Amino acid sequence: MLSSNKYEEEFPALKRKINGHRLVYLDNAATTLRPKRVMEAVSEYSLNHHANVHRSTHTLASEATQMYESSRQKLADFINAKKEEIIFTKGTTESINLLAYSLAISNMIQPGEEILITTMEHHSNFVPWQQIGKLFNIKIKYFPVKKGIFEPDDYFNYITSKTKVISITGISNVTGQVIPINLIVEKARKIRNNVIIIVDGAQYIPHFSVDVKSLDIDFLAFSGHKMLGPTGIGVLYGKKEYLEQMSPFLFGGEMIDKVSMEDTTFTILPFKFEAGTPNVDGSVGLAKAVELLQQIGMNNINQHDKMLTKYALEKMKNLDFLEIYGPQDEFQSSIVSFNMKGIHPHDVAHLLNDIAGVAIRSGHHCAQPMMNELGVKATCRVSFYVYNQKDDIDILIYGLKKVWEWLK
Amino acid sequence: MVKIGIEDLYSDIILDYAKNNKYKKEIPASQKAEGKNLSCGDEITIFLKVDNGKIVEASYLGHGCIISQASAAMMCEIIEGKTVEEAEKILNEVIKMSQGKEYDNDLIDGLEVFSDISKFPMRIKCFTLSWHTLEEAINNQD
Repeated sequence: MLSSNKYEEEFPALKRKINGHRLVYLDNAATTLRPKRVMEAVSEYSLNHHANVHRSTHTLASEATQMYESSRQKLADFINAKKEEIIFTKGTTESINLLAYSLAISNMIQPGEEILITTMEHHSNFVPWQQIGKLFNIKIKYFPVKKGIFEPDDYFNYITSKTKVISITGISNVTGQVIPINLIVEKARKIRNNVIIIVDGAQYIPHFSVDVKSLDIDFLAFSGHKMLGPTGIGVLYGKKEYLEQMSPFLFGGEMIDKVSMEDTTFTILPFKFEAGTPNVDGSVGLAKAVELLQQIGMNNINQHDKMLTKYALEKMKNLDFLEIYGPQDEFQSSIVSFNMKGIHPHDVAHLLNDIAGVAIRSGHHCAQPMMNELGVKATCRVSFYVYNQKDDIDILIYGLKKVWEWLK
Repeated sequence: MVKIGIEDLYSDIILDYAKNNKYKKEIPASQKAEGKNLSCGDEITIFLKVDNGKIVEASYLGHGCIISQASAAMMCEIIEGKTVEEAEKILNEVIKMSQGKEYDNDLIDGLEVFSDISKFPMRIKCFTLSWHTLEEAINNQD
């Protein structure tokens, strides 16, 4: 890990004062703070190398193309994929929409086959499938994550020979429960070898080292802005053999082979899925963010998150005015959701900010089906990342006690 | 500019109104409307018993933060006994106040505890939910 004063240099927002208090940023599951080097890389590209990619032959166009493609290579190496298996998107939501539509219009789901999702998913891995099901008359099966805890053995009963697609998150964005993806892949492939396995990696990728080949998943979606990158850039990884069979989802420039009045043929991977001028700035920033994560070390990040989560759970369990959700064991990573008894999460979040400079999330976390499973309308959520330290949690605990004193 | 502290927003008066259940009930066979804050999931239903152009009874049901609950309770207290026309005038002034615009202080008796709500941009919608829903309830005549 970097030492904490190095983090202050790298992340200028950490030096901000909120109502006279040092900023304690605990909303990392929503988005992470920006490192200087990432924004400097974006700025350097934008100011000195920017041109449209894959088209003109002049110097700037050549530099821009090389930077875009080397960003793609960096992302491919990061998850052990091939370069042509990395499709740049706006983020996880676009990645899953692209995937859902493309699978449907490419007739890769036959009549009678099903898509299996769960009630713990973020809306981005829930609504696209639900709507695809309605539009294309495909059966969507929902695995109920009872009381907000995912039980693998119950889940396996929902996988049958009819299951064509499984889409599941790697970590619950509400409870922080880590889902045993390797176990799911192993069991699912035994039931149906060619089941298409999709992982929503928005929360998982920032915290765990992922090797898509050894994990043997077919698709992986994630966002740059939850892993120190800019907003508006994300990735869809797909196994080459699937991507080749699939029809493009967006049509236009950049993705064609030959266009005539009668018809159009499409270009090769990954470009057939990247219609229009891409977000080169974002890709450069994301590649820089990946470099920083690799420098810190994904295993170090994982250990650090675990240590903070354990520490936070220990401290928070001592506060009898809190109700904590999720497994509260070693399978909970970097996220703790809770409610203060009888107090609305918005009031807790607002007061924590103003009393102690602590930034947390309050609301339904874009996961209303999961809120129903937990039997609540909304929760407070704290989430940790590389730059958080134990004293951030001490300040959180101090703030929570103050809020309770005020509002109880 | 005067700095507005959190103490003003979470003052004792506002906390008292949020915990006061006097107006938290259903009025059967009344004009009503439901309001929602989509971003936070807060919901409220406003009930009005209107007789001859006069609001003889007002109440609300729902769940939400302290700001939204206190706002709903104070609103019911203020509009009860007023004519629909008077309530609409108050509503207009309240919305202006929430937007940081000039408003007629005389009309919003008691609500000035929320006069700085416009300085808390993330909480304006908590405060205005019941008022926007009131507007719909007024329009929902049989």
